[in-house]
Amino acid sequence: MRPLTFSRLLLHCAILSAILFVVVVIALKLGAVPVSLYGLGRDLLRVLFRQTSQLSSEYQLIIFDIRLPRILLGIFVGASLAVAGASFQALLRNPLADPYVLGVSSGAAVGAIIALIVEPHLSLAPAVAALLTPVGAFLGAALTVTAVYFLGLRQGQIDSSTLLLAGIISASLLSAIIMFFMATLTGGNYRGMAFWMMGELSTPPQRIVSLVLRFGFFLAAGAIYTTASDLNLLLAGEKEAMHLGVDVRRVRLVVYIAASLLTGLAVSVSGAIGYVGLLVPHVMRLLFGSDHRILLPTAAFGGAIALVVADTLARTVVSPAELPVGAMTAIAGAPLFLYLMRRRLA
Amino acid sequence: MRKDAQRIILAAGAVTALMLCPATLCPTLRAQSPTAIPAATRLNKDFVDEVGRTVRVPQPVQRVISLAPSLTETIYALGLQERLVADTDFCDYPPEALKKPKVGGAINPSLEQIVALRPDLVLVTKSLNRLETVHALDGLGIPSYATDPHTVEEIVSSTERLAGVLGVPDAGAALAADLERHLADLRQRLSGLPPRHVLFVVWSDPLISAGKNTFIADALRLAGASSIVDSSQDWPQMSLEEVVRLQPDFLVFAESHSDSGQSQFDLLAERPGWRGLDAVRNRRFAVISDAVNRPAPRIVSAIEDLARQLHPEVFSAHPEGEKEKKIPPSAQPPLSSSLMASSDGDSTLLEVCVCAP
Repeated sequence: MRPLTFSRLLLHCAILSAILFVVVVIALKLGAVPVSLYGLGRDLLRVLFRQTSQLSSEYQLIIFDIRLPRILLGIFVGASLAVAGASFQALLRNPLADPYVLGVSSGAAVGAIIALIVEPHLSLAPAVAALLTPVGAFLGAALTVTAVYFLGLRQGQIDSSTLLLAGIISASLLSAIIMFFMATLTGGNYRGMAFWMMGELSTPPQRIVSLVLRFGFFLAAGAIYTTASDLNLLLAGEKEAMHLGVDVRRVRLVVYIAASLLTGLAVSVSGAIGYVGLLVPHVMRLLFGSDHRILLPTAAFGGAIALVVADTLARTVVSPAELPVGAMTAIAGAPLFLYLMRRRLA
Repeated sequence: MRKDAQRIILAAGAVTALMLCPATLCPTLRAQSPTAIPAATRLNKDFVDEVGRTVRVPQPVQRVISLAPSLTETIYALGLQERLVADTDFCDYPPEALKKPKVGGAINPSLEQIVALRPDLVLVTKSLNRLETVHALDGLGIPSYATDPHTVEEIVSSTERLAGVLGVPDAGAALAADLERHLADLRQRLSGLPPRHVLFVVWSDPLISAGKNTFIADALRLAGASSIVDSSQDWPQMSLEEVVRLQPDFLVFAESHSDSGQSQFDLLAERPGWRGLDAVRNRRFAVISDAVNRPAPRIVSAIEDLARQLHPEVFSAHPEGEKEKKIPPSAQPPLSSSLMASSDGDSTLLEVCVCAP
């Protein structure tokens, strides 16, 4: 294996974070209420120099309390989905694997909805009640991953097409369950449920939930990163990796749990957003190669950039109304995916 | 060959790098940014809204944003339109409400627009708006007052309470008294009459009606009708079989444009299964204003309109006392009496054709 050069990783990450920074500034500027680039720059500088008392109060609520939290949410959701997608693709040795295609996102959505339904019947402290949805989403994601994995086995080996079929069928079954809940439940606060189907970032999660999202992202992504070298060896096949001394069972366990956590957290705050987990790892692989020690961090940045761009478009194209960001990622993602697929075939 | 140490350093480095930039920036900012509206020297008054939250409302309320068409109508009915600084894309009544600045839809309003308009108070209604929107407004320090009427009676009392919150209790009391007077008159006229069995068509494709716990079901009751739908779901999707089995006396449509109700009826009548309905064969249907779909004061006039169409006999020009003698309950025209749409079709004036049995 090619030795990892620290400077190469740093260079890639520096380039990507510069792009992310530019994207965030643009996203901060654009929105239903116009904000001048000059005013925005002045406010950002004041924040950097801790002179918050001098902030022009005019739009700071809009920029710092509405747009920035939403952009941060997009960054973490996008990064979570892309890292989960990259690790699923490596572990299942399947370029089509991603949380959405495998039904993991739908499983997380069903878990979140069930949590939403049982929550009023349990008398919980508000902070605990707020965390019930992410926990339900994580459990839903983990159960779905397990089920799809076992359904995708053929004579003890993961079979690509069986696995994908199992994922797609599970996803459609779980979507039908969501439809069923939507049709039969009344009286509660289920109006937002359509958002689990399409995915959107317009609903700010409660404070405790966004803290858990950030913390969980670093924890799970860090855990996956410790298996990066093993994932590289796994690309050659499970048996081959085992002969090379990889503890395949441990890697599988770590990656499944961590990727389910990433998916569950992302889905619980944003619904099921497709294509980010599928496409971003592919693009990063084309750009920076398939060494997971570089791929995983670059995919995190790439996912963040992609989702912030998609969400900025979603909230500006038909302003002041909004599109679901999941529609935006699909509109941009599907043709790009087809293009990449054709190019690979050619 | 494992370079565990290096990997861990790398991971830790990446984590701290990421943590340092945005994640830590936000909380400090949130703590430092001041609350939305400078409360300055204005007085605040606490109200308990209809979902039980205590809302601190600056007095007097000068800038209101409505996040529901019904609330927009109520504000106009109370004569407070000058204080309405924005409403939703769906607020279309009265027509002037269309010209107000918009903050997007009721389900997904633009928080940015709301903040930019610096409202004293945002009005929401539980049946339409989302809890998440209210949470988000709370987080931004913008007070929001929620209404939650489930019956026509509650629509009236809710209107009166809202008038109190907005600082015009007298206008609220007058409006409520007027509405009550109309309802009492209606109740008196319709007393003793058997209710018409109706199918209220909320949406025709797929067929959606209103459940028994909605204010629409209550409005139908007050208009001397009873819905054939006995569902605890608010907006049940009905199967045609079920409708044919229950054989409604009348189909009721709510329309904003007066003649599209009839075209809606004609469309339904052309569909195969619907011809089996007596109400369709005899063209018995009523078209009322879509005000019936909104929990706002205007619903009372829609109820009166429906009552007139379903029970025309008690709305003749004669004063009430005489009418009671002329048409005793026993001499009620039987169900064969049908409302026929006038033949020219461009008018909604419905004529009564009493076919003697």
